Parts: sequence; structure tokens; C-alpha cells
Amino acid sequence: MAVARRKGARAGMSEAREQGLLKLGAHSFGPRDLLVMAIVNRTPDSFFRPGDTWEEPAAMQRVHRAVTEGADIVDIGGVPAAPGPEVDVAEEIRRTSGFVAAVRAAYPGLIISTDTWRHEVARAACAAGADLINDSWGGWDAGLGAVAAEFGAGLVCSHAGGQRPRTRPFRVSYADVMADVIEHTTRLAARAVADGVEPARIVIDAAHDFGKNTWHSLEVTRRLDEMAATGWPVLVSLSNKDFVGETLNLPVTERLAGTLAATAICAWQGARIFRAHQVAATRQVLDMVAAIRGDRPPARAVRALA
Amino acid sequence: MIVAAALCPAAPLLVPALTGAEPVAPDLRSACLAAAADLAEAGADAVAVLGAGSQTRRWDRGSGLDLAAFAPGPGARRPAGRPGLPYPLGIGGWLLTEAGYRGDRLLQSVSAQDSAGRCAQAGAALAAARPRLALLVMADGSARRSLKAPGYFDDRSERFDAAVESAIGSGALGWLLSADRRLAGELMATGFPALQALAAAMAGGRLVTQVRYSGAPFGVGYLVASLRVTG
Repeated sequence: MAVARRKGARAGMSEAREQGLLKLGAHSFGPRDLLVMAIVNRTPDSFFRPGDTWEEPAAMQRVHRAVTEGADIVDIGGVPAAPGPEVDVAEEIRRTSGFVAAVRAAYPGLIISTDTWRHEVARAACAAGADLINDSWGGWDAGLGAVAAEFGAGLVCSHAGGQRPRTRPFRVSYADVMADVIEHTTRLAARAVADGVEPARIVIDAAHDFGKNTWHSLEVTRRLDEMAATGWPVLVSLSNKDFVGETLNLPVTERLAGTLAATAICAWQGARIFRAHQVAATRQVLDMVAAIRGDRPPARAVRALA
Repeated sequence: MIVAAALCPAAPLLVPALTGAEPVAPDLRSACLAAAADLAEAGADAVAVLGAGSQTRRWDRGSGLDLAAFAPGPGARRPAGRPGLPYPLGIGGWLLTEAGYRGDRLLQSVSAQDSAGRCAQAGAALAAARPRLALLVMADGSARRSLKAPGYFDDRSERFDAAVESAIGSGALGWLLSADRRLAGELMATGFPALQALAAAMAGGRLVTQVRYSGAPFGVGYLVASLRVTG
């Protein structure tokens, strides 16, 4: 493993990466840019507002609203993370690829992400216009990198603790969860480089709640700067998750404040992409963090200046 | 030989330090503490903790539960002793200490990778390790008892757990040795090899069982029982 990481570090250390450049679709972002990725689920049974965007018109309305509210990326998925009725490859493609094409037609410049762990689904989505493959299941399907390379797309390399897709963690434990996250995600990133994915299009994600209990997700949040220090752009997916719910003892409908607190902490420590259900609120938090960091001027500052 | 035994689930949530500010499953916790306290007072030379692990082997008695593996954070400390103790043994040891037991301990893991015969052999050898030994078995039922269960729902899980409870409750532990191991694996009954070792360790003794708790409030089958040898 250590050998793979060293090789990967060399292969990935392109000039673009040294400058912290992140490329998504036709866009380039610097290391201080904070991007919102809006979640659009083409599922009848996701955990947050189940079935809300199951029908295509509702899903397109969701995209319109997300763009208006400041989303940089839309992440289109067809299978919930939790176990449940089987969604096979054909059905996942049916749920997502046509919709990706429709969003691409409506928004030629919008960054579109496909939320899948399956390379067949990723291929259909990239053919329909997706720019990024968001794999939350830790590279379970080793064919994703080749698809990203083929289409010039990006790839999210996540840590799911070795869990099979759509399974819940059961009594998981780690000698050092953040060390495991970094080891796994950077190894996947190196594998993606070896597969031919452009290094500036590779993103890493600790995958909160995936293969983790609440303590593990809190630890990963607390130490997120260690992920940012790897040099790979960091994505966080915190929105309304169980670690927020368990921490605050709140049901899924009441986790926005907790989600935003974690969002601010992750942004401060160097995360760059924020996958979220509530786009406007997330955008506000990120704009505020950017202003506190000194990366973004206040919208209007006249207090005590008149 | 075994003079008394107790069965508790190997659930990390038994340990209050792992579950946060609010009390979790207080009735389950008190049932486990009562069962462990019974063992502590059984007049044995030692208490053996038996649970599933990745290998069938004995462990140093000084090894302890690694809380930080489940709940990392500032101030979380790693235990003394060699790392790698299977968590069921760590939780069992914690339970004994919590119940006030300060005497000699043995720690034995049995692996689902090894055959039922090998696990039974380990159980029988453990029983012979002291003239008067008390045995704390840390083993769960199926982790597939409900839609929200760690392993999602499997409609065979309830019947399987009921059969285990019936064997434990009636004292007819022989059934455990011949039960379908593959099914136990499919149902995520992770503690099952330890139950087989228990059956071998108790072979020949007449048992009276007190079931202290039976349920699956988080989708994992929990059975707490005290087993007394009467002859």
C-alpha cells in the first residue's frame, strides 16, 4: 500500500495540482473557491424528503431552483444509499441518464455529477453529458476510473470503510479513522491517475456516515484539515446525515442547523465542494466563511463607514 | 469445569462512554450487569470471557477494550496490552469490571473461519482450564431483524434467533453444535461460533436457565441469560 501511495503521489503531482487547480467540465477553480453540489435524487425512497424529485418534472424544477440558489454542481442519483428494494443497472440507467441529458440541454454550462458506484451507469451518464462521477462507495467498482478517463470526466474517490454498496456499518472500528480515510482515498486517487483520469479532475471524500459511526464522522470532521493537506480537492457530504441527527438527537427534517455548523467547520479546514440538499442556506454559510477568511469581500459594508 | 455461565450480547452500545449523553437501552444494560454480577459471585477460580473474533485463540488477560476504535476524539486513550483484542472480549471484560469482578480472567476468541468442531474443541479446552470456572459468553443473534437493522431485514432471522433462545432457555445446548453455520453467517449472527463453543464447554452438565432479556430494539437480536449447572 505504501508503495502504491508513493507512486501515486508522483504520478498525481502535476503542475496543475501543485497550484490546487480543480477542473470540472469546462470550468477551473482555485483552492479558495467553495462549490455547492445540489443533490437531485431520482428515487422514490431516499432518506431526505423521499420521492420529492422522483418524477422528472419535479426533478427539473429542483434543478432550476438549485441553480437559482447558487449551486455550482448538480449531483443526480438513482439509488438510495440505504439498503432496500434492488435497483439493477438497467433501472438505475433508466432513472438517471435521460435526465442527465435533459439537464445538459437546459443548462449547457452547468456542472453535472452522476451519483453512482457502477461503471455502466457512469458511462451512460457521461455519454449523456455528466462531468463528474461521484462514487460514495469507496471504489467498489474498479471500472469507474476507465470511464472517467474515456470521457474526460472527474472522479470522486471516497472512503466507505470497505462496505459493500447499500450496506449499513455494523460495529465498525478503526485504529485511526482519519489515517484510514487518507490511506484509502489517496490510494484510489492514485489508481484513478493510473487509469488515465486527469489529476486536476480527481476529488477525495471522507464519506461521512459511510462505514462510520457518529464518533467516527465527528472525528473526520474535526480533522478534515489532514485530508486537505494531501493536496487533493476535498468534497464533503454532510447534509442532514445521521451523525448530525444522533449528535443533536433530531429527526431528519430538523438537521439543517447541525449540517450548516459542520459545513462551516469543514470549509474553514479546507473542504472545497459541499454536497447539500438545502442549497441557499449552504451557499450563505460558504459565502460567510469565505468572507471571514478574507477571500470574499462583504456584499455591502457601510456600517460605521458613512 | 464450568460452574456457571452467562450470555450477553457483544454490543458496543452496552458501554455508556460510547453512546453519548442520553441513556441507551437501560433495561438491556442492567440485565447484562446482573448476569455478570452473578458470575462474579459464583465462587469460581476464574471467569473466562468467550466471544467471536477473527482467530481462535487465547489472549493476554491484561488486554482491554479499545474505546477509541469506536469513539475517537480528543482525550480518547488506547488500552494497555497488545492491540487487536476482539471487541466482544473487550466488552465482556469491561462488563466484568463494571459488575465488580476483580479476580482472575481468561480470554478466549473463536473464529467463524474455523469449523464448528474446532470452536467446540476450544470451548471444551477452556472448560478444562480450571477446576471451577465461570463463563461469560458475549454473543449476539441476527443483525437482520428489521428494516432499520445493520444488515437490513431477513425474514428468516426471527425464527433463527427463536431457535437459539429455545436451546439456551431449555438448556438443550446440543442443537447449537449441529445448527446451520452458513445460515448464521447469512443472518449476520456474528456471535454464533461463541455459542457453539459454549455448548461444548457445558456438555454433560444439567442446566437451569434464567432468561433476563430478549429483544431486538435496534434490529440485532439480544439475548441475556444466566445458566446454572445443577448436576
